Amino acid sequence: MSDHKHQHHIMSKSMALKVWGALMVLTFVTVVVAQIDLGAANFVVAMIVATIKASLVCLFFMGLKYDDKENAVIFCTSFIFLTIFMILTFGDLLTRGDVYVKDGKIIPDGAIGQTKSKFVKPWIATPEMIAHGKELYASNCVVCHGPEGKGDGPGGAALNPHPRNFTQAADWKNGRKPSQIFETLTKGLNAMPSFSTASTDDRWSLVHYVRTLGPHESEKDTPEDLKKIGIDPTKEDGGGGAEKAIPIGLAIDRMTEDKGGK
Amino acid sequence: MSEHVTAAERLAGGHAHHFKDGDAEFQACKSGMWIFLVTEVLFFSGLFVMYAVLRVFNHDMMHEAHQLLNWKLGATNTVILICSSLSMAMAVTAAQTGRTKDCVRNLWITELFAVGFLCVKYVEYSHKIHEGILPGALWHYAEMSVAKAPLFISVYFVMTGIHALHVIVGMGVIYSLIRRAGRGDFGPNYFTPVEMTGLYWHFVDLVWIYLFPLLYLVS
Repeated sequence: MSDHKHQHHIMSKSMALKVWGALMVLTFVTVVVAQIDLGAANFVVAMIVATIKASLVCLFFMGLKYDDKENAVIFCTSFIFLTIFMILTFGDLLTRGDVYVKDGKIIPDGAIGQTKSKFVKPWIATPEMIAHGKELYASNCVVCHGPEGKGDGPGGAALNPHPRNFTQAADWKNGRKPSQIFETLTKGLNAMPSFSTASTDDRWSLVHYVRTLGPHESEKDTPEDLKKIGIDPTKEDGGGGAEKAIPIGLAIDRMTEDKGGK
Repeated sequence: MSEHVTAAERLAGGHAHHFKDGDAEFQACKSGMWIFLVTEVLFFSGLFVMYAVLRVFNHDMMHEAHQLLNWKLGATNTVILICSSLSMAMAVTAAQTGRTKDCVRNLWITELFAVGFLCVKYVEYSHKIHEGILPGALWHYAEMSVAKAPLFISVYFVMTGIHALHVIVGMGVIYSLIRRAGRGDFGPNYFTPVEMTGLYWHFVDLVWIYLFPLLYLVS
């Protein structure tokens, strides 16, 4: 340690007032800029202004400008660690490939096969499909929609609006025809996620099962309804041919990974 | 010199025996304070990274949900904290120059601003609690049905809550300074606690400088 005696820097009143004035002006700038729509630039400007304000506080009020350099170095290390924290977190989150593990096996995105419909004209309900839909419902939908389809599952309690009650006829936003439920299942609705990555067989099976839970038998598709969602009802596979899809269990995994929300 | 150095000894230029002089003691204390502030930054880092992840993956939700916050109250609190930083800086200057009365007055002004800050927070929080704009499953606000909006409110309550806790702790420390300054503990030879508390208080301001645009002005 050197023998030299540190000079304590004493901030003058006028200096303190100047820094205070600058901080007030910059706060005003932040608020004004936020009222103008600059797109993505809004965020950048807000962060730059905040950083200028933070620097003023550090340099003058906290005295780093006049202090031993070692204190500035100490403080700056924390931001290096914050940067590492950010880089590692987003390095992971943003580069996760579409690799899914099912039954202990890794299924890379490219290996998800082209699945051909197992059911003939799947938009027409069969007991086999309803049974398949019931299984899928029990493992994937119960948590929010409840065991009897009343929309009272524990996972749905916090959702607003509440999950659909399948046992009543009223208030179906997209309608109750098979094609309409299929659309909801495919595209999602409010908190209901899209299951577009599940196979059409799985989706149609769920549609037919859900329709058995309430008085929906009378709501039938016309050929026009089916054409609206891109299905040619004269063809066995709907004219859509093979499509890229994964089993619904994987679709759920994908959903819980939460790539969505965007 | 004994293990414990009294305030009177310090004012007369005394210092703990393991330091070469009072100045070395002050510098060591200050570096220690900066290291503490590093741990504070790291502590808040977890919260800021949480915020960043939420924002990157739910940009539209954040835009909708932030309108539940009143930016005017947020801006008021920004102004209050900046003013409290000014009075704190003036209290430090007064302590360094031996103007005890001025120091105590500025510390009281700082306390007042802190109370003002907490009052505004109380207005914000009570309004949200009343409306049901609450974290996670406690949410029962019917006028917004944006998925995951309760998650934004969780982040809001956690970040501002922990920040407000820092304000409350700071108020306690400042109050102890007021008592010690009134007792005549500080003077040109010894003002370490005042300056260290100043660093802490400015840091609390620093965190708010980022919280305000991030929570209240997201677009």
